[in-house]
Amino acid sequence: MGVDTILTDGIVPAQVRRRPESLLQVDQLSIDIATRDANVRLVDNVSFGIGRGERVALVGESGSGKSVTAQALMRLNSRVKLSGRVQFDGTDLLSLSPRQMTAMRGQRMGMVFQDPMSSLDPLMTIGDQVAETLRIRGVSKREARQRALDVLDELKVERAAERLDSFPHEFSGGMRQRVVLAMALVGEPHLLIADEPTTALDVRVQERVLDLLDEISRRRSLAVLLITHDLGIVAGFADRVMVMYSGRIVEENEATLLFAEPQHPYTRGLLEAVPRADITVDRLRSISGAPPAPAARPSGCTFHPRCDHAMAVCTSVEPGETITPLGARVRCHLYGEG
Amino acid sequence: MTLVLPTAAPRRKANFTAYELTVFGVVVALFLLALIGPMIAPADIYTSNMLETLLPPSAEHWLGTDDQGRDIFWRLVAGSRLSLFATVLVVILYSIIGMIVATLATVGPRWVDELLMRITDIGLSLPGLVVSLGIATVLGPSLQSGIIALALTGWPMTARILRTTMRQTMEQPFVEGARILGVSRTRLMLKHVLPNSLDVLIVKWAGDISFTMLILAGLSFIGVGAQPPSPEWGAMISGARGYMSIAWWAVAAPGAAIVINAVAFALLADILQVRRDPSLQA
Amino acid sequence: MAYLRLISQRLVMTVLTLWGLATLVFIMIKLIPGDEAQVAAGPGASPEQVASVAKRLGLDLPVLQQYLNFLLRMLRGDLGTSVVSSKPVLTELAAVLPSTIELMILASIIGTVIAFPMALVAATYRGKAFDGITRIIAVTGGAMPAFWLALMLQFFFGNVWRITPISGQHSFGISSPNVTGMPTLDALLAGDMVGFLDAMAYLILPAIVFAIPFAAQVFRLLRASLLGVLASDMMLPVRAKGASTSRMVLRHALPNSLLPTVSLMGVLIGGMVGGAILVETVFARRGVGSFLANSVALKDTYAVLGAVMFVGIAVCLVNLVADIITLMLDPRIRGAQFRAGAK
Repeated sequence: MGVDTILTDGIVPAQVRRRPESLLQVDQLSIDIATRDANVRLVDNVSFGIGRGERVALVGESGSGKSVTAQALMRLNSRVKLSGRVQFDGTDLLSLSPRQMTAMRGQRMGMVFQDPMSSLDPLMTIGDQVAETLRIRGVSKREARQRALDVLDELKVERAAERLDSFPHEFSGGMRQRVVLAMALVGEPHLLIADEPTTALDVRVQERVLDLLDEISRRRSLAVLLITHDLGIVAGFADRVMVMYSGRIVEENEATLLFAEPQHPYTRGLLEAVPRADITVDRLRSISGAPPAPAARPSGCTFHPRCDHAMAVCTSVEPGETITPLGARVRCHLYGEG
Repeated sequence: MTLVLPTAAPRRKANFTAYELTVFGVVVALFLLALIGPMIAPADIYTSNMLETLLPPSAEHWLGTDDQGRDIFWRLVAGSRLSLFATVLVVILYSIIGMIVATLATVGPRWVDELLMRITDIGLSLPGLVVSLGIATVLGPSLQSGIIALALTGWPMTARILRTTMRQTMEQPFVEGARILGVSRTRLMLKHVLPNSLDVLIVKWAGDISFTMLILAGLSFIGVGAQPPSPEWGAMISGARGYMSIAWWAVAAPGAAIVINAVAFALLADILQVRRDPSLQA
Repeated sequence: MAYLRLISQRLVMTVLTLWGLATLVFIMIKLIPGDEAQVAAGPGASPEQVASVAKRLGLDLPVLQQYLNFLLRMLRGDLGTSVVSSKPVLTELAAVLPSTIELMILASIIGTVIAFPMALVAATYRGKAFDGITRIIAVTGGAMPAFWLALMLQFFFGNVWRITPISGQHSFGISSPNVTGMPTLDALLAGDMVGFLDAMAYLILPAIVFAIPFAAQVFRLLRASLLGVLASDMMLPVRAKGASTSRMVLRHALPNSLLPTVSLMGVLIGGMVGGAILVETVFARRGVGSFLANSVALKDTYAVLGAVMFVGIAVCLVNLVADIITLMLDPRIRGAQFRAGAK
């Protein structure tokens, strides 16, 4: 535990740490879906916050509930039932009427999705699709088109002026993702939710898109919630990381601390699964087994069947939230008070 | 907070709504009626009774009488076997043709598949009613001609759908496994692939019955299907057309019988389809 | 290029289909009971006459030769001769075709006007009462026997309530010079409003009979298609932009659903020609359908088969046009063609 002490020395306790002014505050958010025969809880009592201009990553395997959470923030999926509180810029989103919620979307918060191939309307021109965000709000056709062009320029889409009238199929994957990004950014939102924005792209294009996102978020002091399964792309981007497992946030910390000192065995497993240039390991270890289906979660700590450190208590008692000396919020019996 | 959760992934249970149960009930009742109809109908519906011609609906004759003084209600009951069973027979016949074509296309060499599917495409783009009319004319007007004509023109859609599902089934692991174990191609087809594909057909059948009933009645109406005095519903309408202005019920009643059957089966098809593809659900 | 290739594929398929139909018709002619030459020469013809007819029609040749001759005749547009009227089937059909087209056009317009708004509203308010009710109405509408519907409408609107004329194309004495063969259009061309309204009154009931099942089918496909697009990944970003449900339906789901719907409308309009046999007969309208039905009644088998061939060609052409429109609506295909043309 040598590293631990070295790092702990200079650490300010989490509660006292200076945090940017709060933009989004999620309290006890639960997401349920009603199937034909049962109510299934997809996300269970999740709480977190995002400050203005802050870049936060929400990491987890597929099925962990991270995308559902992301969509819940904008109330995109009408089939699920949301409970808890989502405060955005002082407004409780969950108490808004559908009409009021529609007005929030696009303008104050934007969202980017996983697959740029299927995220665009094949029958509408790029320019119209980007401008649509503004046209909905009554911006004139001319101005909307000009601003769409500006955003595409900002996103370094080459010859953007000529390509406003092109259709999506004429664009490459990376270019399409920039268009999707432009649709989200053109309304000048305060928060951008990016749900696996680079997963469908090849590695080099991934990097370029992330760099762009990084640049724009700094320039516009835009808060970003990056949803991903890949801790590798989080490292250079996020200020803070949350790790989600089976519908719960199991660990949260400053990015540098989380990468240096992962606390939860699951986080460690995830980190070990990431190939890293700075550390030479004999083999890539990944966590064995698969995450449980939301309708069939194990008792106690839901991670225990896959955990190397599982103890007797883990099979029966659900771990509560603990704040470690490093400032990590962890749900694991290894750090429990008892 | 602990979650109470089932241990296994929940199986989709068949919880039928009242509406669905009603439709199922009506369909079963229609089948039963067709089965026993001719047995319970009185014998005098086949003979004329010139004293009671063209009577409007009354307590004695619920749907009135026709130009021969025959009770329309009981003729409908008696004719329901003819109408429904002829329809079902057509669907069975062309389903068999479709199955044979699809099976040959699936197990046969590539060129057989190509050839059969091109023929199927041609069949699909021809107007079924018109070609049936041609065939039935050549065969000479009768209910049998109508049945044969519709069986010969109805199969392409079935063949096309079945072939697609059969191909998909063939690519599934269990078929591969059976093949490795040395199960013969024919046996594999008959015992595994075909039954697996039937599931798709069952949904289609309900819609087919509804649609075929309309066309078969249409053929009878033009005069190439069942001939009066047959109590087949299309033929009854055709026969009563001439005196509709004085006894409209003689046309309305058999048509309503067709509508009830066709709508019941169409609703059944709709329900089955939505159950297979819940995204269509209202 | 993709565009041209797809269109030529459709063309080849159309030609193949027509060849298949011609073969089918040829087989049917061969299957007609009785001696073909005897039938063609008419009853009561002397053996010498029958023999000369047989020679003229090439019936003494081997079957394969006859088949090739038959195909050649079809290519020249010779659909055979009516035994009853001794006129070429094609001439007779060409004279009545406009009347059928007129009916089909009005029916498709009525059907589209009913189906599109219904489907759009049902998809927007999915799962609400309107959606459930319209679905059942559509299923019911699609399961109506056309000829019966025709008889009932004719009886109640024509005989009982006397709102519309009972049968025919136009009232006695009201008739515009025949230019197009479509009474409504002819009246318009002649600037005769009375004649137009009169012809419309005769046209409306048959058109409604066609429009009901047409609307039912279009409604069901369009609704399913709209819901499919609305549930697709494509709609998430649109929703995230802040688009209202109606905007999602009208601006995104509708254009994307138009492609399959237009294809279906082609098939349905083609199918109307079949339905015309029943409906035109009931309303005693001139047309391809009533020509077919009359020929059946007169046992004029050659006329029936010629008309079957004719209707087959018409249906194939309607489908071809629908396919080409579908292709042109899709920028993925259209764009490729424009680009190829520009450079």
